[in-house]
Amino acid sequence: MSLQLIEKKDNVEMVRDQIASLLALETDNQMLLALSVNKNPDDWKLRLFTERSNPWEQWLNNQADLSPIVNVWFDSANYEQRSSNDVERQKTNATFNIDCYGYGESSDVPLGGHLPGDQQAAQTAHKAVRLVRNILMAAENTYLQLRGLVWSRWPQSMALFQPQIATTVQQIVGARLSLEVSFNEFSPQVQSNPLEYVAIDFLRAEDGQIVFEADYQYP
Amino acid sequence: MGLRQIAEADLKYTLEDGVYGFGWPIEITDPSGKQDTVVGYSNDISQAIDPDTGLVVSGRVASVAMRVSTLTALGFSIPEGIADSSKKPWVIDFLDIGGATHKFKIAQSDNDRSLGIVLCLLESYRG
Repeated sequence: MSLQLIEKKDNVEMVRDQIASLLALETDNQMLLALSVNKNPDDWKLRLFTERSNPWEQWLNNQADLSPIVNVWFDSANYEQRSSNDVERQKTNATFNIDCYGYGESSDVPLGGHLPGDQQAAQTAHKAVRLVRNILMAAENTYLQLRGLVWSRWPQSMALFQPQIATTVQQIVGARLSLEVSFNEFSPQVQSNPLEYVAIDFLRAEDGQIVFEADYQYP
Repeated sequence: MGLRQIAEADLKYTLEDGVYGFGWPIEITDPSGKQDTVVGYSNDISQAIDPDTGLVVSGRVASVAMRVSTLTALGFSIPEGIADSSKKPWVIDFLDIGGATHKFKIAQSDNDRSLGIVLCLLESYRG
């Protein structure tokens, strides 16, 4: 017996895309809220990517948009056998890394001194990961708006790092939020073949007696 | 004159020759605003090797190398990276081969006191 064509997405992929969608939607919402109180909406802007290896590469030659870059990627998963069943469902604990990159450029302060780029890059990365953590851990997103699928989400750790980049010209700092999400994965099930069609009518007689009649197809 | 002194004197031809050598005009501004132009090496490339892994990584590295005796003759001290944000940094301007100008601040200076060359690693600067 062989399987049918596997066309479905696994839930780990749906959860990853949902994390990115929530961040993108809430970024737009935050920018609108900032605009409504006469604040610069660009201070709340995040640019979202999924599964990219070096999305910050564009900063090397093009500094048109310096808003923070956020990359959501699936890191690892483990499965709890005790909370699963062998046939259909695997309880999954998956870790998603949400990498936030901040760019900084040193600049002159006309009244004296200068703004150091390395400090700006770190502060921009801090701001981005702050927004990300607050959005994902908001009460509205307890189940990442996938209630019924997601059991829980929890930030495992936050770490600052410098991306794999050999440079002195640009200052780029990364901040990684590792988010653990628990949910179910489902696997393909046996597709049954009908052996024989049977039609049954259940009837209640006037005296309350339950009767049924069955129709069989004869070859 | 010893070999080391000869090598330093030869910097006029090996480092500062912009006619027959790789010398390139470099505008230098110190934290007090004093500005002048020297000829040295300038470097601005967009690919780099990660020294830990030996792999090519995305990056941009810019640097200049200048003769220390020329700088001191012009009245400059040895350039250095300025971390204090209340002070102005050392600023370097030079053209790339296409004629576009680029402005940098000196992020780090490595002074070769044996040969009399200072190598400055640069960081992008708006000013």
